[in-house]
Amino acid sequence: MVTTASAWLLPALPFLAFLLTATLGRWLPGQGAGIAIVLTGAGAVLWAPLLGALFVEGPQLYQPVWFTVGGDALHVSYIVDPLAALVLGVVLICSTHIQVYALGYMGGEARFGWFFAVVALFTAAMLGLVLSASLLTLYVCWEVVGLCSYLLIGFWFDRPAAVEAAKKAFITTRVGDVGLLIGILLLFRATGTLDIPAIVTAVQQGAIDGGTLTAAAILVLLGAFGKSGQFPLHVWLPDAMEGPTPVSALIHAATMVTAGVYLVARLFPIFEAAPVALAVVAAVGLISAAGASLLALVQTDIKRILAYSTISQLGLMFAALGTGFLPAAIFHLTTHAAFKALLFLAAGSVIHGTTRQKLDELGGLRRSLPVTAFTMLAGAAALAGVPLTSGYFSKDEILLGLLDRSTLLFVATLAVSALTAFYTFRLWVRAFLGPDQMHGHAHESPAVMLGPLVAFTVPSLLLGFLLFIPFGPSANIIAFLAGETGHPPAQYAEIGSYYHAHHEATPNGLVLGTSAAAALAGAGAAWAVYRSGARIRRRLPGAAVLERGFFIDALYRWLTTQVVMRLSAFFAWFDRRWVNDAGVNGAGRLPAVVGGALRTLQTGNLSTYALAIVAGMALIAGIILWSGR
Amino acid sequence: MIPLEAVAGLSAVLFAIGLYGVLARRNAVLILLAVEVMLNAVALNFLGFGAFRGDLTGQVVAIFVICVAAAEVGLALGILLRLHRNRQTVDIDRLDELKW
Repeated sequence: MVTTASAWLLPALPFLAFLLTATLGRWLPGQGAGIAIVLTGAGAVLWAPLLGALFVEGPQLYQPVWFTVGGDALHVSYIVDPLAALVLGVVLICSTHIQVYALGYMGGEARFGWFFAVVALFTAAMLGLVLSASLLTLYVCWEVVGLCSYLLIGFWFDRPAAVEAAKKAFITTRVGDVGLLIGILLLFRATGTLDIPAIVTAVQQGAIDGGTLTAAAILVLLGAFGKSGQFPLHVWLPDAMEGPTPVSALIHAATMVTAGVYLVARLFPIFEAAPVALAVVAAVGLISAAGASLLALVQTDIKRILAYSTISQLGLMFAALGTGFLPAAIFHLTTHAAFKALLFLAAGSVIHGTTRQKLDELGGLRRSLPVTAFTMLAGAAALAGVPLTSGYFSKDEILLGLLDRSTLLFVATLAVSALTAFYTFRLWVRAFLGPDQMHGHAHESPAVMLGPLVAFTVPSLLLGFLLFIPFGPSANIIAFLAGETGHPPAQYAEIGSYYHAHHEATPNGLVLGTSAAAALAGAGAAWAVYRSGARIRRRLPGAAVLERGFFIDALYRWLTTQVVMRLSAFFAWFDRRWVNDAGVNGAGRLPAVVGGALRTLQTGNLSTYALAIVAGMALIAGIILWSGR
Repeated sequence: MIPLEAVAGLSAVLFAIGLYGVLARRNAVLILLAVEVMLNAVALNFLGFGAFRGDLTGQVVAIFVICVAAAEVGLALGILLRLHRNRQTVDIDRLDELKW
């Protein structure tokens, strides 16, 4: 009988897989990859009864004590609520399928087993992060996720580009993580606890003053933006495409970039109490969504197009969070995980079958890669928001929330949708339609890779219908995520009331119609422009700006080489000249100089000493006699 | 009865002679001799004040000083003998290696 209390098993299983594969893997068939897949898969199988237990028991909080410092007990508390449960499932199912796919894609790699070990650790850390109800364990898992992304992006560390990308990912997210750490410490100082429910309760009782709360929330956001590749910390995400494609799928679908969205969702009551921070969430989300979809227009590497689409879609999720529609954001996270995993695995299948990944070198692959072509079309349709796919419905939830707040935001997001449809179908049309660029040399991937592709096609197309069917005790998935699980609010109050009344879940005709029109217009335009396979020779104005990524990389390079390096050079000089030479060496030389001067007093001549003694005695006697007066 | 001033004055004169000897002499044996004179000046001082106050403590300390002086001379002459055997001199101006 699985209860919510056994939720700790879900991260424990992949972690065990990591330990076994990393230590014993070299003596096992397949370098221990089977262990990682079986244990992660076992977690995925276990997830279903866990979800059932959540339906029965309602949200639960567990707080086993880790250790006690002074009077403060540190808990390894974990929480099982709709938010955590859904994301757990997303991570486990994506990770299992992606590992099966990697059996084929990574076949023949020298460090095959190590790859699976790190993927298992990656999964375990993400699951731990999702379950955490304590900022301490959450931060630990957060950093392990960062470490694993570094290891996996730099998996092919004999390629300089991969090494650079891994370092860039690690350092960029680290910039955000410093903010997160300071934010956590601010919250700890204000409330005296790291337990999220206790912090939320304190915030809701107004125990933290507004300035501190806003500062803490924005610092936490820095961490979330770094991990989720949001402007201005998005620069690592496109470069992370240097990693193996299954890793890209894992990072983009389940285990890394969603962590930022999840963090904001988990701490949502804190953001609600800090309207400024919430506005920042929405603004950055929309900037990222719009900017990334523009950048994706000019990319020629299929993986980089998908990377920018991830930034754009995550931006939409942040926009939903920023406008207060947490369930819509998490629902989009779920559907996005399905279709983005599908798209990356399909892209991997194309790379596997052709050894090429530039759009200019691809074309007409629909005959040689029929399964990939069809499944990728499903994923592209979902990403573009073609009607009745999962992405259509979940994006409409976000649009509905935005329309509720501001017509301008709604229209802007519709434009982003149209752009998304355009660049997505530009990718698909240029890769699969038109004349065959490979002249029949492309080959379809093995069944072990096509299986996960087909498996992801189903949720990519159908997940959206969760809006219309009951989800456990809730009316639909939005109601489930909004916390309407049929359990009394009293039980919720213990955990901290996480959710508020949600907006009407069923999109209205205006949203459905305009969203469908935007998607179809974008897709149709792409088809009309690119179907012939002809290259567009005329460069559009502004293309150079987009190809250089709005000069953000150049700005960072200028900042590091010109500002940071010069400042560092100054500090290095100051340290050497004044702290080291003057301060430390000076302190060392001072006794030598003084001693050198004083030692000449020691003449070795007995008469001198005697005279000094007599003179000293006379002096002392004189002082005594004189002061005695 | 010898007045206290006479004893104290003799003691002061003896002490000054001894001090002059310590400072002015270059021969270690003579410096030792001068130190003995200073010690005896002090002992004489104790005796004079002891008699003046009418108790025996002054005489006790004087005997103690004589004992210390005897021990000191024994030790110091021994050192001087070794010194002379090694260096063939007892001139303190030439015995100034113990420095720095």
